[in-house]
Formats: sequence, structure tokens, C-alpha cells
Amino acid sequence: MSSQIPKPVAAARSSGLLFLTAANLGLAPQALRCCPLPRTQHTTFKTLQVFLIALILFFTVSSASAATLDVGQGRRFDSIQSAIDAAHDGDKIRVNAGTYSGNLIIKKRLILEGANNPVLRGDGAGSVISIFADGCAVRGFTIEHSDGDLTREDSGILLKSSNNVIEDNQLRDILYGIYLFSSRANTIRSNRIHGRPELEEGDRGAGLHLWNSPDNIIEDNTISETRDGIYVQSCNGNQMRRNRVTKVRYGLHYMFSDANVFEDNFFSNNVAGAAIMYSNRIEFRRNAFVHNRGFSSFGILFQECNQLKAEDNYFVDNATGIFMEALRESSFRHNTIANNDVAIQMFSSADGNVFTENNFVDNLSPLQLIGRNTNTKWSENGRGNFWSDYDGYDLNGDERGDLPQKIQNVFEYLEGNHPRLRIYLDSPAAKAMAVAEKTFPILRGSGEVDSAPLMHPVPAHYEFSDARPVQRMNAGLMISSIMLAAVAGFVVWTNQRFRAR
Amino acid sequence: MDTNAIRTIGRQELMINVRNRWTLVFAAVFGVLVLSISYFGMITGGSLGFQGFARTSASLLNMVLYIVPLVALVMGTLSFTSETSAGELLFAQPVTRGEILIGKFLGVFASIFTATVIGFGLAGVIIAAKAGPEGSLRYPTLVAYSLLLALIFLSLSALISAICRRKTKALGVALFAWFFFVLFYDLLVIGGTFLFKERTANSLIFGSLFGNPVDMVRVASLMTLNGKEIFGAGGAALLRFLGGETSSLIVLLIALSVWVIAPLIAAQQLLKRQDI
Repeated sequence: MSSQIPKPVAAARSSGLLFLTAANLGLAPQALRCCPLPRTQHTTFKTLQVFLIALILFFTVSSASAATLDVGQGRRFDSIQSAIDAAHDGDKIRVNAGTYSGNLIIKKRLILEGANNPVLRGDGAGSVISIFADGCAVRGFTIEHSDGDLTREDSGILLKSSNNVIEDNQLRDILYGIYLFSSRANTIRSNRIHGRPELEEGDRGAGLHLWNSPDNIIEDNTISETRDGIYVQSCNGNQMRRNRVTKVRYGLHYMFSDANVFEDNFFSNNVAGAAIMYSNRIEFRRNAFVHNRGFSSFGILFQECNQLKAEDNYFVDNATGIFMEALRESSFRHNTIANNDVAIQMFSSADGNVFTENNFVDNLSPLQLIGRNTNTKWSENGRGNFWSDYDGYDLNGDERGDLPQKIQNVFEYLEGNHPRLRIYLDSPAAKAMAVAEKTFPILRGSGEVDSAPLMHPVPAHYEFSDARPVQRMNAGLMISSIMLAAVAGFVVWTNQRFRAR
Repeated sequence: MDTNAIRTIGRQELMINVRNRWTLVFAAVFGVLVLSISYFGMITGGSLGFQGFARTSASLLNMVLYIVPLVALVMGTLSFTSETSAGELLFAQPVTRGEILIGKFLGVFASIFTATVIGFGLAGVIIAAKAGPEGSLRYPTLVAYSLLLALIFLSLSALISAICRRKTKALGVALFAWFFFVLFYDLLVIGGTFLFKERTANSLIFGSLFGNPVDMVRVASLMTLNGKEIFGAGGAALLRFLGGETSSLIVLLIALSVWVIAPLIAAQQLLKRQDI
């Protein structure tokens, strides 16, 4: 499979991920036109132009000859499979509203389009739609009732070919939502996937499962109640944007996958917003990891990763915001880490990471360190992070605090290696220890220090109002509070009469 | 026991306390603190406005842990060691010493209850304005735990008064008890964990919780207010140590009741034998 990589795609992969879209759509020759070419190559350029025009003509003609096959009650075909059997490469099959039973197998380049949301009900054996031909499209269906065998990839849509487009579908009662099996350069867009909540978490499949499938674009999908939201194994160069994943185990789960990008995604109420394991050079921006709560829940979790890049993300209201074990040489910039019980939990195997210009706001504990110390840099080029509990001052007005910020106090330092001591969190004794540490510097705790803490928070670019809890009046609490005050008044009043007697 | 006598003594005690400056000062200080914490926690919303309810009520809890034991100890001691002729007059009446003890206990508790609950009620109105759906059960739980804490330290003050008898001495001991339970005890336990081997240290940490009602109330309230995962792995281990969530709650309530009843019985036994 990997020997068949088209040249432009391979080039785009090595030169930069952003060219992917262009390469996938076959626009690479046009991109070449934009480049200034030396005079000696002028004739080559002309040949290329002629070739391009021929190509466009070819596509126009072939698309004109493509037929549209109508499926539905009283139409030419009454079952989708019969239409597929009759169709030729490049044809479009239009499916009208109604419920259609039976699995579909597609081995030709076809466009399957649902008008008015037809329902495809699988026969409960294997996958509902299996696609074996390149360049297919499936859009506008409700897809349900797959089989339940994890080892046979029983999914709503099983892709075993490349360059397909799957969009605007709704998938429910399926084991896996969409399974990409050695399938490259697909676009998976605006699908809604809802798993089988009645199953144990371990018996469910992932909403989107990518195996050995590089260079896909995954956008605007909504996933809930599956095992993992998006599971990615051994796939390089995928892009995930604006997906919403809730109530799953890991919202996004990378295994052995390098050079992926994920941006503007929203993960809430999962065991972990994202879990990145054994993967290198992943970049992620403007994602929100919120409300991941539970005894071992994390906003994001890293294990054995190198050279990651995190920018402008939000880690809010998690049991642990960021967990890192053996994360190396990664950078965190402009992230907001707020209202977590523990902002960062770090094993001393984490090495050479940089935190600069992040906001650490109102976390119960800023850092829990398991081990003695790490090589983490808490500032770079004289720019540290904003800490809402910083109590230093800025006399020279350079927007940076003149005193370094000790990230852990002595209690937090002890607690890292004696987890049960956390029971004394927020106790007067723990606070007294922190004060004592400041007053008597003989007590030596953690060596994690931000030498250039910022005086003001870094402006957050990203607004995610839907993550914020609704702040409206709680009538029940209001009434019970008034009753409480009234009871107190009543006690005094009744006994006032006692005095009169 | 004559409930009528207890009620009369209790009501008298309440009225003495309502007229007492101590109660007024406590009610005022408590009210102002509670209102300002809930105002700055909820209305100004912190910096991002997440977890408004949990963080605000956790701050309230922090204040409760300092103030309620102190006030209960001081007001209790002042009441149980009356050196004026009013005390002699009371003991001269045809009521048992046990009835006097219980009556005073309930009377002082009623006055603390009144002062606390007015503060909590007003703060609750502010919190309710923005709490959303989550606070309905958790806030009353916090109030209930605070009142339990008041009961426990009142009971301790009865014991201290019975032992010391003299007002000045009893007040001194009461203040030491406050310092010990609020601060010193925890420092001893935290320090102690580093002297023992890990296994012993682990059971020491969990066992020590039951030796200090302030810790029990703090742990239970934080778990109710912020979610049980607030103590991380330590919290999970504690719940397992106590046999799950419901049994933890039962164990906790039993332990807290023991802390209310045991000192009271001890005080009653001492009083019975004393020559007044």
C-alpha cells in the first residue's frame, strides 16, 4: 500500500501539512503554475498547460456522461444494492427518504447521496456500508445497526479504499462509527456518531477509528458514548478540526502516529480529553479540554512522546489538567490552564519541556511532581507564565515579576511522593507550611521555579461559551436559603416571648 | 430526665446568649465574612467563572473550619462555667446536673445555630443567584457539616469546663484545644508520616482523620462540594479503605456522633461527682 503513494502527496507530506488539501483535490499542477519558473523550462511549462486543459476537458466530459440513479418507492430502483449493481464508475445514486434494510458493499467509484435523510439499517452482520473503491462519497444518511464484533471492524462505514468523502451522516447503534482501514486521504466531515451506551466501555468501538491511514482530513464531527472518540494508530499526517467529543474514554487517542495536527476541537466529560502515546511531532492549537473529572481523569495525557507543540489550548475544570510521563522536548505556549484540581502532573521522566506565556489560573495545586525534579523550563527568552497566585511585585514595570515564582510549595512537594497526604489539602496546616517556607527559607522543597513570571494574563484568543456552566438562578437553593434565615429568625422570635412570661 | 426542665434551661440560656455581646460579634463577623466570600466568589465570578459554586463554597468551608470551632469553644466555656450567682441559683433548683448540662448545651447550640444559619441563609441567596443547578444539595450539606462541627466543639467545651471548673483556666484550655485541632494536629500527622515506613504511614494518615473532627468535616465537605476526586489517588484509597462511598458516609457520621456524645457523657460523669 505504502509504495503507491502519489508523488505530490508524498511531497506535501514532507514539505508541510497545509498543502495536503491542495494535493488531495488534484490541484498540485496548478500550485506548480504559481511558482516562478526559470526561462529554460518555458517549453516544459507550455506542455504542462496543454496537459492541464486536456485534463479539465476530460473531467468535464466524463462528469457530463455520469448518470444519476434514483432509488426509492416508485423510482427506478427500489433497493440501493440493485442501483449499485447497475451503476458505472462515476455515477451518482440518489436515495430518497425511507428506511432501507441490508448491508451495502461498494466496489465502484460512486456517489451515494441521501435526499431527506433516508435510513440505512444494516442486517446486524458485519458493517453497514463497506467501501472498496477509491473516490467514493457517502452523504446525507442515517446509518444504524452494525454487528458487534470488535475484531472484525464491524462499523457504520468501513473504508478500505482511498480518497473518499464521508459527510453529513448520522450514525447510531454501531460498534465502530467510521473505520478507516489502510485508507488514505479521505475527508470525514460533519458526521454525528453516537455509540452504544448500553455496552461496557471496553466492549465498545471507537467513533472514528484510523488504522494505518495517513493524510486524512477529519472535520466538524460530533461523537459521543463510544469507547474512544477518535482513535488513531500508526497514521501520520492527519488533520482534525472542530470536532466535538463527549462522554467517551479518550476523546482523541494517538498511538504510534507522527506529525498529526489537531485544532479547534472540543473535548468534554471524558476520562481524558486526549491521550497522546508513543507519537512524535504532533501539533495542536485552540482545543478545549474541559470537565474531565474522575479519580484518574485528565485534560490531556502524554506518554512517551517527543517534540510536541501545544498552543492556545484550554484546560479547564479537569481533575488533572495535563499529565505527562516521558514527554520530551515539547513546548507549551499561550495555553490557559484553569480551575483544575491539579494543573500539571509530571513524572520526573518528563524532560526538556518548555512552558512559556501560559495562564495558570485558580488551580488547587499548580504542579504535582512524582520524583525529585525535572528539566522543565518554566520561562524562555525572559518570558515566563502567568500565575494567578503570584504574590510578588514588578518595580521596574517590565510586566514581569521581580521575584521568581516557586511553583510548588513545600506541602505540594511532599504530597507528590506521598499521594495520601493530599487528604490534608486545603487544611490550615498545609497553608501554615507554605507560609513557614516563605518566612524561613531553610525549608527546602521543590526546585521548580518560574524566574520571569508574567504580571498579567496572556490574552486568550478563543471563546468557548458552551463550555462554561450556565450561571442562572437556582430557585431551590434560593428558597431553602431564605427558609434557613427564616428558621433562625423564628428561633429568636419564639424565645423572645419566653422572656415576657 | 425532665424534658420540660431542659427546655426551660435551654430557652433561658438562649436568651442570655442572644443578649450577650459575644453572640452578636460572632453573628456579625460570620455574616460579613460569609457574604463577602460569596459575593466575590459568585458575582464577580473569579477570573474565568468556572467552578464558581465549588470554589466559593470551598472558601466558605475554610472560614467555617477556623471560626465555628473557636466560637463554639468560647461560648460553650463561658456558659458552662458560670461563676456568677446565677449559676448557684440554677444548681439550687430541683433539677439534676445532667438536665442543667443538656439544657445549657442545647441553649448555646441554639444561639450558635441562629447566628450561623442567618449568615448561611443570606450567603445562600447570593450564591443561588448564579449557582445554576448544581448547588441545591451540596450547599445544605455544607451547612449541616458546619452545625455538626459546632455541636462537637460545644460538647468538648462542656468537658473542658467540667475538668477545669474555673472560667479563666477553662478558657485557656479551650483556646489551646482550638489551636491543637485546627493546626497542630495536622502538622503532627504530616510530620509523622515521614518518621514511619510507608505501610504504617499510610494507615496513620487515614486513621488520624478520625482523631480530629475538623479534618473529618474538611474531607467530607470538600468531597461533597468539589467532587470526590479532589483528593486524587489519596481520596480513592481512602474511600476503598472505608469500604466504598455509602459505608464511608456511615462511618463518618458514626464517628462524628461519637465526637458529640462521648465528651458530653464524660462531662456529665465528672459533674455528677463534683462538689459545687
